[in-house]
Amino acid sequence: MLEIKNLHARIDDREILKGLDLTVNPGEVHAIMGPNGAGKSTLSYILAGKDDYEVTEGEVLLNGVNILEMEPNERATAGLFLAFQYPIEIPGVASMTFLRAALNAHRKARGEGDITTPDFMRLIKDTAAKLNISPEMLKRPVNVGFSGGEKKRNEVMQMALLQPSFAILDETDSGLDIDALKVVADGVNALRSPDRSFVVITHYQRLLNYIVPDFVHVLSAGRIVASGGKELALDLEKNGYAGYVQDAA
Amino acid sequence: MTDTMGTTTVLRTPAEEALLKRYPAEKASLPGAPAVADLRDGAFAAFEKAGLPHRRVEAWKYTDLRANLRTIAAPAGPPDHERVRALPPAVPGDGARRLVVANGRLVPELSDLGGLEEGVTIGSLAEALTHADAEVLAALRPIPEAADNIALSVNTAFMTDGVVVRVADDVALARPIEITHVIDGETAAATAVRNVFLIGNGASATLIETTEATYAAAHQTNIVSVVTLGDEAQVDHIRLQLDPLEAVSLTTLTVEIGAKARFETFNAALGAALARAQVYARFNGAGSTGAFRGATLLSGRRHADTTLVVTHDAEGCESRELYKAVIDDEAKSVFQGRINVPAHAQKTDARMMTASLLLSEGAEAYAKPELEIFADDVQCGHGATCGALDDDLLFYMLARGIPKSEAEKLLIIAYLGEAIDEVHNEAVRDMLIHRIEDWLEKRVG
Repeated sequence: MLEIKNLHARIDDREILKGLDLTVNPGEVHAIMGPNGAGKSTLSYILAGKDDYEVTEGEVLLNGVNILEMEPNERATAGLFLAFQYPIEIPGVASMTFLRAALNAHRKARGEGDITTPDFMRLIKDTAAKLNISPEMLKRPVNVGFSGGEKKRNEVMQMALLQPSFAILDETDSGLDIDALKVVADGVNALRSPDRSFVVITHYQRLLNYIVPDFVHVLSAGRIVASGGKELALDLEKNGYAGYVQDAA
Repeated sequence: MTDTMGTTTVLRTPAEEALLKRYPAEKASLPGAPAVADLRDGAFAAFEKAGLPHRRVEAWKYTDLRANLRTIAAPAGPPDHERVRALPPAVPGDGARRLVVANGRLVPELSDLGGLEEGVTIGSLAEALTHADAEVLAALRPIPEAADNIALSVNTAFMTDGVVVRVADDVALARPIEITHVIDGETAAATAVRNVFLIGNGASATLIETTEATYAAAHQTNIVSVVTLGDEAQVDHIRLQLDPLEAVSLTTLTVEIGAKARFETFNAALGAALARAQVYARFNGAGSTGAFRGATLLSGRRHADTTLVVTHDAEGCESRELYKAVIDDEAKSVFQGRINVPAHAQKTDARMMTASLLLSEGAEAYAKPELEIFADDVQCGHGATCGALDDDLLFYMLARGIPKSEAEKLLIIAYLGEAIDEVHNEAVRDMLIHRIEDWLEKRVG
């Protein structure tokens, strides 16, 4: 499970998170919604360990361990996964090399040896097929020449390969048409299990029709200002954030 | 320096003094007919006049040989054949015909000279000099781009031997020819080697040159290779500079390219404390293509210089220049590239690019790309970049669990891959990737 306690963080001189609390129990799906600039992406980057941000107060416990002191790769192998809002293109690094390096890093952290080539090929083939990812896509360098939708599907495929215990999806729906959205949502739903939890960051209620959350939170000005069930998302869709933003002020 | 009488005397460095003493002492034992002796004397006189090149000579601004070459090593003595034979092949599995030039001399006993393809001859330079072979003598005269190059002059004065390869018209060499330049000996030794490759019309060949040593010592190598391509000839040239990390390596490649020909060269600068790889190329015939590429890996306080001059002296030739360097610690990389396009070389297409990846605060990269264009209907461009590894790329890989050292390794190999992937010979590509991986492991470890 993930526990965020009184998290304060800044970039340069600007404080973005101002005492954020959130507890995500195993098996739960939490949606975080909020206006632009509320700190949603900042939260996802801080959890994953991007060093542009400075955490000034608070702690983040993943399965009881404070991850804020850990390197990003250690957080990943400890079970945390971030599906990027803007997946990065890595020219010259073959997708298969990248996936294999990631998978082997996770295996090593569990005390297992490297995956064999036949096992790896089989695993990739099965996982890719479920997300409509063609073998041709995987012959390219990481994300290079991928469409927006292909990049998002590739993120979910990586999540399926790495089997995290906690995943953050940062606007995984942005830039997707309705068919691609369904593929991505099916990929996420297939991974839902009693011992895996998700935080889904989104602007729109639409995604939550496909990935149905247990809880919805409103993030505004660096704090959670309202929490509720999935009906809260419908209310936001109808009435906007105005009422919640005032609460925060 | 001015003395009290107002006349000037040139202040010589110890290295210059040593070279000045060596030539009169050795010249009688250097191979060659009288015409060659004259050539040597002329080249030595040029050195005597100019001294070692220094930072006030524009072409040597970033690689001050006078300041950096403190001593001159003794000429290499006879090599131990068994030690040379025991060296593992630099490029495993390349299937090449290996010719060994050890301590400055072609060693037939260690060279694969049997079963030559029809139309191919391989001989020693010393022999050609002794017989005043007209073709070889002609090839010894520097092309205009290299005319006042002191490294080349010193080579001409002191050259002991090398290989002469002739490939007749329309002969396609099935196996690469690999020249293994090796210095054998525990103490620092100097060599001056000249190779001549005469590739006929419509002929094709892959030429691989390696430089290595049996012991890690501060050897000094000065290797000049002269390549001439006839019309419609095709040559792939690869230089693998694997000298000990204490060594000084001066290499020069001069190339003359006929019409409708293809020439490609790749330089891997992986060794030496001080290295300069010079390439001087001329397109003499219309409609040819050339590719000039290289990869440099530097750490510690090493220094590597790539100096390139390409002259498009004919219409409608295309050239591509791509040099990439990875620089760590307090190492220093220099790239000087110049493309000359005289007025008559219309329809020239030339693109030069150099990129430096700095892995530390103390690493330095100097890039001087130049175009000199007098023709008005050409496409020419150049670019230079310099920077660190991209933090966003690294973070994405780390976020997938890949440790930082491995992520950096993958990114650095990808970065150099742009140049290495263009090498046609697969065994060479594999060998380069292995060497880079080794280098990166040592860097981390």
